[in-house]
Amino acid sequence: MSAPTLSRPASLDGLDGAGTPLAGGTDLVPLLRDGLVRAEELVDVRPLLPRGIEDGVRIGAGTTLAELERSAEVPAALAEACRLAASPQLRHMGTIGGNLLQATRCWYWRLGVPCYLHGGNRCHAREGEHREHAIFATEPCASAHPSDPAAALLALGAVLETTSRRLPLAELYRLPTDDDRRVTTLAPGELILRLELERPDASVYLKAMDRQRFGFPLVGAAAARLGGETRLALAGVAPIPWRLGSPADLDAATPLPGTAYKVELARALVRRALAAVAP
Amino acid sequence: MARLIRTEKEVEGRYTEQWVVVEEDPLDRWPAGPLDVVGRPAARVDGLRRARGTARYTADVALPGMLHAAVLRSPHASARLRRLELAPALAAPGVRAAIGPADCDVFSEEAGYQGAPVAAVAAESFGQARAALALVEVEWEVGEPLLDPDEAVRRGQLIDEPDRYERGDVERGLAAADVVVEAEYRTATVLHNALETHQAVCAWEGDELTVHISTQWIWGVRKDVAKRLGLAPDKVRVVCEYMGGGFGAKNDPGDHTFVAAELARRTGRPVRCALTRREENLASGNRHATIQRLRAGARADGTLTALEGEFVMAVGWDGFVSSTAGPMKMLYACENVRTVELGAKLNTGPNDAFRAPGFVEGTFGLECLLDELAAKLDLDPLELRRRNGADADPVDGRPFSAKNLGECYRRAEPHWARRAEVRARSEGPWRRGVGLASQIWYGGGGPPSYAFVRVGSEGDATVLTAMQDIGTGTRTAMAQIAAEELGLPLERVSVSLGDSARGPYAAISAGSSTTPSMGPAVRAAAADAARQIIEIAAQRFESEERVLSLRGGRIVSEDGGAWTLEEVTGLLGDGQILGRGSRGPNPTGMRVLTFGVQVAEVAVDVETGEVRVERIAAIHDVGRVINPLGAASQVEGGIIQGIGHTLSEQRLLDPASGEALTLTLDAYKLPTIADVPEIVTELLDVPDEHLTSLGSKGLGEPPIIPTAAAIANAIRDATGADVRSLPITREEMLRALEEARERAYAL
Repeated sequence: MSAPTLSRPASLDGLDGAGTPLAGGTDLVPLLRDGLVRAEELVDVRPLLPRGIEDGVRIGAGTTLAELERSAEVPAALAEACRLAASPQLRHMGTIGGNLLQATRCWYWRLGVPCYLHGGNRCHAREGEHREHAIFATEPCASAHPSDPAAALLALGAVLETTSRRLPLAELYRLPTDDDRRVTTLAPGELILRLELERPDASVYLKAMDRQRFGFPLVGAAAARLGGETRLALAGVAPIPWRLGSPADLDAATPLPGTAYKVELARALVRRALAAVAP
Repeated sequence: MARLIRTEKEVEGRYTEQWVVVEEDPLDRWPAGPLDVVGRPAARVDGLRRARGTARYTADVALPGMLHAAVLRSPHASARLRRLELAPALAAPGVRAAIGPADCDVFSEEAGYQGAPVAAVAAESFGQARAALALVEVEWEVGEPLLDPDEAVRRGQLIDEPDRYERGDVERGLAAADVVVEAEYRTATVLHNALETHQAVCAWEGDELTVHISTQWIWGVRKDVAKRLGLAPDKVRVVCEYMGGGFGAKNDPGDHTFVAAELARRTGRPVRCALTRREENLASGNRHATIQRLRAGARADGTLTALEGEFVMAVGWDGFVSSTAGPMKMLYACENVRTVELGAKLNTGPNDAFRAPGFVEGTFGLECLLDELAAKLDLDPLELRRRNGADADPVDGRPFSAKNLGECYRRAEPHWARRAEVRARSEGPWRRGVGLASQIWYGGGGPPSYAFVRVGSEGDATVLTAMQDIGTGTRTAMAQIAAEELGLPLERVSVSLGDSARGPYAAISAGSSTTPSMGPAVRAAAADAARQIIEIAAQRFESEERVLSLRGGRIVSEDGGAWTLEEVTGLLGDGQILGRGSRGPNPTGMRVLTFGVQVAEVAVDVETGEVRVERIAAIHDVGRVINPLGAASQVEGGIIQGIGHTLSEQRLLDPASGEALTLTLDAYKLPTIADVPEIVTELLDVPDEHLTSLGSKGLGEPPIIPTAAAIANAIRDATGADVRSLPITREEMLRALEEARERAYAL
């Protein structure tokens, strides 16, 4: 495995998917080191990505988590999801666009076990050790999506602008299937440029982790109230960030033996989140 | 005078009988309490060096021409090597040597655990060495791993014969009990994760070998390396100037040292062999998991009538059965006790000593059981412990050299009395409570150990001893002891340690023994130098030795008159005063132990299972305290590590393959600074009248021992839930809460 080259194009035009885009690198660099992502060429897009916050609801994909957590304008759910993610060092490097695309923390996947998500024929976590894993869509892959901001943005009704289209955040994600194990719909070379949210009347993000800080969510719960409607989304409960129609949807969870506690955890957090945004 | 004695030597609760040549320690004991330097808070003498990055750790050692080793390890928990072809690796860029089972006895064709070393290469860079490993052609015959300790016991697959202990008659004790409690406790396998991974740099010069190594025992490495490589011990030099933590896992040379030595021998160049973080979490030792099936009986007044325990330890493929039954045997004056310790041989990485091995786990079980007993008896848990205090070692009746556990309990009262106020702060889903647990452990150290003190004409002193400072602040404590004896301010004493070629033999830094083993030797050496200074001064100033003493950098006469030290040492020119000191014997026929109690305050969110430790008061009796600041830092470190073991840390394995899943620090969850509660440290600071001229014991291990039980007991106080399994993760806490609710409905 030789080190990839790094190119620094002058603009985003002409990105053809040959190189692997590098922004904050907080997930990509460890994945390269561990051989889970292979790249001959890295393309430094950090200086080219839109960066900054307009009116608290239009956000450049290159904005760091640290910038979002300190912003007084962005909805509380997003600022809080950023604040509770990772460590200060990582939040100063990591971009919001990259955060939405980070890979699962499933230990089997991270250790390079030939599991379903890596193209294999079974999910090792289902039969194995899976206390950090999913309670929804646990088949055929029981991995959990680790992004806190993704759940907040789902609840906030985020719409993404990429180099080729506009799409609701929910459509960025897909569950892995036998013929395609990817969990996003991003095409090669396609980059997230901007996010646009609806401005909620109230929003909140609550998170349960194994220690007080610097942990991926066991469960994260986001709620956003816009007029008469309150939207819910969860982190850490499915292979992709998970919209929840109502608290009762938790009755339909299909946890594994070792993740049943997450249903109870989610119920408590959802109840609290709803109470926190209630008028 | 040198004296040959047959003595019992104790390291971390394991005793061996051996001959020891000791010299008497004739010094008068210092008065109790803070002196001029000893007993007063001192910032670390090497703090700035460490903070500025100029302290040289083994990781910083870069010798000219040094090669880097990488080790091929078994990916399987149970496997036999079918084929190993090193030639492709040897042909890879930068590779200078490759060795396998035929070349070095560290490697084996049978892998009993994932991570067992199989082969190694040395290359110009670590990256090249790693890349070459991927080219080694290797085929395995994979077996079925045995991972369940109870199953191993059923099959008789044990590391050692079962260790059985019995006193009195447990059946009669149980029959005499008004109340009997019975429970099963479990602790998880946890990992040391020292900041500096295991590593060594080996360099040959002719038939002499220098080993730079991150170690807790310079002289142990010297002895083991010499023996295994067939060298005279004086041909082996061991260096460890600064160290990034050991916690028990660096007591011996380890495989990496022998890999580096062999590759260095073959290439004629220095070789570094350093474990990566993943290797560190895979194959560098662990605190083995335990299953503890315990029973206690007591009369209505709380008098213990019987204690019984079966302790099953998940030791691993190799290692030792730690004394998990120790607290049950030693802590309380119970006449009828029966224990059995069973060490399961499993297809998992060998365990190693880890900060009070066995006693951390055993205290969790015993002290939780005591609280369950107190609840059934409707007795105050502190009172229950008081009523069962032992006046002599319950195992063999020996008197304690000192035991002030009663005073620790008394000092705990104000913290314990916060119960009502803490509980009253329960609000919404947050329930608050207070729990306590006692601590018993060794920590007396012992001979042999030696030190020199050198005083030059400028009047400054240097302590010379080939001990190691494993990060606990030993340099500072030794400087304080020498400064006190020489009447010098701390900044005029330096300490030279960490090199077997630069000082005399020094004891291991394990078993909370560094200060009690080394401190008296350093004091004796300083006293020897002080005596010589006074002799010279008496001649120079025509005074009598008996009226002279050293204080504040001066020679002070009772008859009036005082001279600066330089006025005497200045006469030396290039001459030096050399003091020599050694560690005297331990008190004969006495049990030297440390004691303490911790009181934990917790808040539990009963809806989400979140546990927050809010405050821990730690009251310990470790004899005289040399540096209160360093001591508090040891207490804080022990408690933080204990909180990790209690709430978040566990090594997880795939239940089918036995392959480790928690190899990185995102998956293996050490506590962060945000998890650290308010920690109140109170040390009794009463010198042990029978132990050396210092009366000091060690403090490295005591503070981690009672933390888990104190937290679990506080959780029960807060919520009524019995948590009997570590770590107390969300799922374990929610399970225990649900069980408590079901129990309440059933009533």
